[in-house]
Amino acid sequence: MKSSILVLPVLLLGAVLLSLMIGQVVLSPLQLWTGLWSGTGPGALTLRVLRGPATFTAAGAGAVLGAAGTIFQILLRNPLAAPDVMGFMSGAGLAVVAGVAFGISLPLPLLSAAGGLTAAVAVALLSVRRGAVMQSSLTLILVGIGVSFLASAASSFLITRMPPQEAADAQRWLVGSLAARSWQHAAQVCGLGALLLLVLALQVRALKVLELGDELAAGLGLRPGRARNGLIGTGVLLAAAGVAVAGPVPFVAMMAGPLGMRIAKVTAPGARLCAAAMTGAVVTILADVVARSIVPGVQLPVGVMTGIMGAPYLLWLLSKEAEAGEL
Amino acid sequence: MTHTGLATDRLSLAYGDRIVIRDLTLQVPERRVTSILGPNGCGKSTLLKALARLIVPTGGEVKLSGKTLGAIDTRALARQLAILPQSPRAPDGITVADLVRRGRTPWRGFLAPWSEDDGRICAQALEQVGLQEMVDRPIDELSGGQRQRAWIALVLAQDTRYLLLDEPTTWLDLAHQLEVLSLLRQCNRDHGTTVVAVLHDLNLAARFSDHLILLGADGLVASGAPDEVVTEDRLRQAFGLDALVVPDPVTGRPLVVPR
Repeated sequence: MKSSILVLPVLLLGAVLLSLMIGQVVLSPLQLWTGLWSGTGPGALTLRVLRGPATFTAAGAGAVLGAAGTIFQILLRNPLAAPDVMGFMSGAGLAVVAGVAFGISLPLPLLSAAGGLTAAVAVALLSVRRGAVMQSSLTLILVGIGVSFLASAASSFLITRMPPQEAADAQRWLVGSLAARSWQHAAQVCGLGALLLLVLALQVRALKVLELGDELAAGLGLRPGRARNGLIGTGVLLAAAGVAVAGPVPFVAMMAGPLGMRIAKVTAPGARLCAAAMTGAVVTILADVVARSIVPGVQLPVGVMTGIMGAPYLLWLLSKEAEAGEL
Repeated sequence: MTHTGLATDRLSLAYGDRIVIRDLTLQVPERRVTSILGPNGCGKSTLLKALARLIVPTGGEVKLSGKTLGAIDTRALARQLAILPQSPRAPDGITVADLVRRGRTPWRGFLAPWSEDDGRICAQALEQVGLQEMVDRPIDELSGGQRQRAWIALVLAQDTRYLLLDEPTTWLDLAHQLEVLSLLRQCNRDHGTTVVAVLHDLNLAARFSDHLILLGADGLVASGAPDEVVTEDRLRQAFGLDALVVPDPVTGRPLVVPR
């Protein structure tokens, strides 16, 4: 199988360009180019204030979510295992909503990280049966889906107690939204993302051994429990970094890995993670482009679009797993 | 107790509350092929895992060169002793070459790049198992026998003095079982590797091993050379099996013929 490494960077560049061009007003690449260098005209405004920040926030959020999803999919050997399915993102979302509701003035990435990690610990603890922590991946995923519903319900409950305007904003954010993103958001998710991806790069070798199974990994000199916890930590933090700027956007984390693997034709964990990050960015950017241009004059939250794309994929995946006897 | 090689000293092992091995003291002969035999549930695999430190003893200890296994640094141990678990699951789409390269893990520094030595040892391992022509093939496309040889190449690439294998012949047809066991025999002959395998088939074990460890429901029944261990009395004791033991017409080793 020949890997096609260059496809994804090209797709990503294309998606970024498309996202900068398309919206209420369609701009030509030339208008963008003059806007970029002259600093005046519609191109400049669109680049600097309107579409630039949203595009780069989408790219950053999509990349961290894609990488996060793939970590769990490799660790649990199941395409359903992703932070959006398993409640880590809903947990992060709940923490942010709670922070707003109770006026806790912590930075959003910290709040969402705390929420995501709490959800992960909850899933782990609730999956424990007869002392064995690592149950079958299906158990963990099902418990995660339960935790996800619980966190979403708690978020909805908190929103009902907010003042109307705040409640509307929070509701929109909880779907996954890139509206009114600034360069600060873009810098935050890209900066945190780069840092966490660097940490992840150092963990890839452990992941390559871990995916051979715990016993073989231990035989090869790894401490499987410790390595796995480190990877779970990185995965949850990556997902939380995405949630902090874009809300719990559904399905990007779950779809990006398998999709990227097929587009780039790669199988090794490091390459899969790279492909997933780029695919996540492409999917999120494109979903946002569609979300803001499909209904004239209305900007839909990006999460509505990823939901529409992701739900059929999930159903297809479930039917495939049921056929294979995994469910 | 000697201070060389792999040995157990009053080793007790349990799964949860169930004790499977009690007070077992034995020595694995150096530079020999040893097979662990016994009925289902007697603790064969458990013993093998304890020898590789995959499970912690409830009593006694496993020693390697006189040192308690638990006191040896994880990576240092992985450079001396490799274990191939029973029916390992390959990651989707992984190629033979990629799988075997992962066997070099304990020898590579944290950020050390892939070295010429690593490449040479992997190539050697692939040649030993006869898969040098298939390096770029995904594991899932190989036959059962080839797949098992790829896994063996992975532990060979680990380049250790001790090689432990948990039922390496399960799911293989007779021809492939012979192929895998000959391969292990050859590793032992060419490199002096101490091989310990859990096996099901008494006749194959007797044919390919220098030393047998026979376990019964109540612990060790016998250990020693095949013709000392595979006797009618001991088979009855370990398996409750009524069998005739005759010399194998091909090798002269003991051959079990159930009555």
